[in-house]
Amino acid sequence: MIKLKGVTKRYTRDSVGVNDVDLHVDAGEFVSIVGQSGSGKTTLIKLLIAEERPSHGKIEIGGWDITRIHHKDIPLLRRQIGVIFQDFKLLDKKTVGENVAFALQVAGAPRNRIQDVVPRVLDIVGLSHKMDSYPGQLSGGEQQRVAIARSLVHRPKILVADEPTGNLDTINAHEIIEILKKINDFGTTIVLVTHDKDIVNHLRKRVVTLHEGEVVVDKHKGKYQL
Amino acid sequence: MLGFFRIIKFAFQDMARNMSLSFMTVLILVLMLLSMNTLVVVRALTSQAITSVKNQIDVSIFFDHEVSDADVEEVRAYVDSFPEVTGIQYKSRDIVLEEFRNIHASNPDILASLDELGENPLGPTMIVKTREPSDYQKIITALTVPEYETLIEAKTFADTEKAIDRIGAVTNQVEKAVFVLSGLFAIIAFFVIFNTIRVAIYTQRREITIKKLVGATNWFVRGPYVVEAFIFSVISVCITAVVIFFAAGLLDPYIAVIFGEDRFLTQYFSSHIMVIAGLQFLGVLILTIATSGLAMRRYLRT
Repeated sequence: MIKLKGVTKRYTRDSVGVNDVDLHVDAGEFVSIVGQSGSGKTTLIKLLIAEERPSHGKIEIGGWDITRIHHKDIPLLRRQIGVIFQDFKLLDKKTVGENVAFALQVAGAPRNRIQDVVPRVLDIVGLSHKMDSYPGQLSGGEQQRVAIARSLVHRPKILVADEPTGNLDTINAHEIIEILKKINDFGTTIVLVTHDKDIVNHLRKRVVTLHEGEVVVDKHKGKYQL
Repeated sequence: MLGFFRIIKFAFQDMARNMSLSFMTVLILVLMLLSMNTLVVVRALTSQAITSVKNQIDVSIFFDHEVSDADVEEVRAYVDSFPEVTGIQYKSRDIVLEEFRNIHASNPDILASLDELGENPLGPTMIVKTREPSDYQKIITALTVPEYETLIEAKTFADTEKAIDRIGAVTNQVEKAVFVLSGLFAIIAFFVIFNTIRVAIYTQRREITIKKLVGATNWFVRGPYVVEAFIFSVISVCITAVVIFFAAGLLDPYIAVIFGEDRFLTQYFSSHIMVIAGLQFLGVLILTIATSGLAMRRYLRT
């Protein structure tokens, strides 16, 4: 599903995001990527959603070589990968329903499909009753659940989560992880970037450890270790 | 087509939900347009003042008192043949005498002298107007030929030549000054609008980035801003037009005192409104679209 072969991202001569990373993630896997700050976790996510381009190497997503993806194809890629962020990245001036619908509207989805899908994905994350609320009226956990709902509208085969629990308390963090596990159970590949030891150890799934931009540990049913 | 309607919907939604930003943007645009229109007023008034001054200038050709009607008619036809000449007023001997008497009605010595002569000593007069003060010299030169020397007693242009030259120089300078001032205002307006739009886009940079991250194309992100720029331009030009007509109505009585023309500014704006509003609308629209496009470019790279 995700293939990185010898991927290096160099910002300047002295600044390397990731260095010669080889990583294969199969369909339906749940992979946690851990590492200290500056280890290259966020760079890896940015490479997967084409926010950055690799300096060397090759990246494939679902068989699609996105190494030198054309600028006009990036929106298509992002509609196939669900992404959630630490800061939720919700549109403050749109309601919960409008935020979720927006991801479908940009793809040109017809109105009846939007009216059908939006309540369903909000129901999955338990927020169908907050459809008309604005993000500012929700708790951090609720906002992250809206972001997850938005990421699900295209039924993505891959969901990338960049520190999704970073701004949340323990209870909300575990709720988010439970939702991600549920999504994974339906067959969606999950790539979770986190530095939360408890969550990683609790998951008992594959763990990839990055250090100074390189993969130093890659264990199935691994534990958090730096 | 669905995307197009969504873009229009998002534009109106954005404007309504960012009301204070929309209001400030329109306010700045209106203030800038009012500044530009103030210059339009200055230009119109300057042009009218120059025209008034030019209309005051003419050349009077005083014929000999023994000149025949045929000779006068010949000179008149000759002068009229110049394309620069815009008008000729002819005053017969009797009219000239009557005006002379009226002018000197309070001077009994002059009137007594006239009576003493027993006949009209004054010849007919021809008053010539041209398009530009600089054209008078051409008429004078054309008349300073031997065959007309005995017919024409005097030409007043020689007396007013310096004044005419000076008026010409002053009007040229005024026109240049207004032109330079217009350019300066245009540059100021450009930078104010440019920065207003940049700030408006800057405040929405997070939204632009998010829209890109959820899969929006550049066109889908830019579209609402283009529609908003169109709506802001229409609203600001309309508000400016209303304010301008209102202000023109207030100023007209004062201007009438100077130029003697009622509703000068109102009529000026009425007859030029399509050009003025059209150009200003296009200017603001192109500027806002170009500026928002430039300001947004870096956020669209996400």
